[in-house]
Amino acid sequence: MLGLGAYALWQVLTDAVYLQVLDTLRRGVLITIFVTLVGFALAASLGLLLALASLSRHLILRQMARFYIEIIRGIPIIVLLLYVAFVFAPALVAGYNGLAEMAGVEAIRTRDFPLLWRAIIALAIGYSAFIAEVFRAGLQSIDRGQIEAAEALGLNRWNRFRHIIFPQAIRTILPPLGNDFVAMVKDSSLVSVLGVLDITQLGKVTAASNFRYFETYNVVALIYLTMTITLSILLRRLEQRMRQSQDR
Amino acid sequence: MKHLLAATALLAATAICATAQDLPDLEGREVVIVTENAYPPLQFVDPATGDAIGWEYDAMAEIAERLNMAVTYQNISWDAMIPAVSEGQYDMGMTGITIREDRAELVDFSDPYMVSQMRMLVRADETRFDDAEGFAADEELLLGTQAGITPFYVGVYEVLDGDEANPRIVLLETIPAAVQALLSDDVDMVLSDSAGGEAYVNANPDRLKLVGAPLGTEEFGFIFPKGSDLVAPVNAAIAAMRADGTLDMLDQRWFVDYSLGQ
Repeated sequence: MLGLGAYALWQVLTDAVYLQVLDTLRRGVLITIFVTLVGFALAASLGLLLALASLSRHLILRQMARFYIEIIRGIPIIVLLLYVAFVFAPALVAGYNGLAEMAGVEAIRTRDFPLLWRAIIALAIGYSAFIAEVFRAGLQSIDRGQIEAAEALGLNRWNRFRHIIFPQAIRTILPPLGNDFVAMVKDSSLVSVLGVLDITQLGKVTAASNFRYFETYNVVALIYLTMTITLSILLRRLEQRMRQSQDR
Repeated sequence: MKHLLAATALLAATAICATAQDLPDLEGREVVIVTENAYPPLQFVDPATGDAIGWEYDAMAEIAERLNMAVTYQNISWDAMIPAVSEGQYDMGMTGITIREDRAELVDFSDPYMVSQMRMLVRADETRFDDAEGFAADEELLLGTQAGITPFYVGVYEVLDGDEANPRIVLLETIPAAVQALLSDDVDMVLSDSAGGEAYVNANPDRLKLVGAPLGTEEFGFIFPKGSDLVAPVNAAIAAMRADGTLDMLDQRWFVDYSLGQ
């Protein structure tokens, strides 16, 4: 495995075409990382809120969260991307401008809502539904007795969540959450359909002008693999460390 | 319309009689053609029926009939098309491909079957510019296009400053997507060949218009793997169709009579 990787890397670093492609694609790495990090942070925040809502005492809140999760989980990410970019965003801008006109504020244009952010929001919406399920499973894995004990100690809701529920739930939550993060690195490639200049889009642009499809996509795949394999190794270590601290 | 169709059928029938003897017979040979279906009215998917239709499909059906070949179609995205045909994965590629030297190093082109000029497609209420210089001068204005196609190169080298990474260029997946971005005020101009541009304006007369003088002339050709023995017969068929008025008839059918989105 390592030998194969080293061989591929050596091939890439000693070939003029590969080097040229790598040089072009370098600029996309930062965009891919930015889209993934920001998108995941938004998705995790939204997912946590959704999980809390779906476990809430209020029926309306529970039903709304379930409805959102079911609907979003059933829509492919690429459809969400196109929908957010070309339907939702222009409608949102038109709506804002309607209000702005009444309030006498400066109107904005569709382009003031950059495609990069539309892509990030679409990814965040799509992933928030998956992450909500991860959080819900983690929160439900906690023994009732723990919560009753915390109530008996007189901890308020926030402190119960912070000191009792969250530290225990994170152990159940972390592995699937890590998997979702790695999946998002890969799915961030879909933002290329909106012309966002990530690794994949730069790969498409490069292949369309140098006609070297094989080499270009080898480099694209290699960059993604480097990121995903590195992440997987880090996640495994983190999980091991958490297990050790649990065993003590 | 009925008269036109009858006249066309008659024209086609006489044309076939007149040219069948001098064109090569490929004896039912199977030819796999790859297209992108993102270039109305040359080849696109009819929203009403879901069928792929257009000028090129009609032209190719006519060529296939005259040369006695059996064509089947496959789809591929534009960035993969030239490499795939170059490697011989398909026998032919057709998607309004401009004949360019750098492409001719990888694939063989047929003779041109269409000449087109690049025009600037803008929103109907556009007043800030009406030519390429005016567009280039205003830093605010954005150009929507697709990577690696002729409108992209014309936009970079003839309208803007020759920098392919110019931030004023917004790259979208296809030209229809770029036109969508133009309508939603994400970009201010899309370069389109006159054929496609007129089709878009006819489909949205109150939302789009063409402005400025034509920017350069391009010729479209079919592409083949290097050294393909199909080039000569297809060229003969194109020449015959030009001589007997079939190409003019197709222009009339797809650029004048047909309107998109109806």
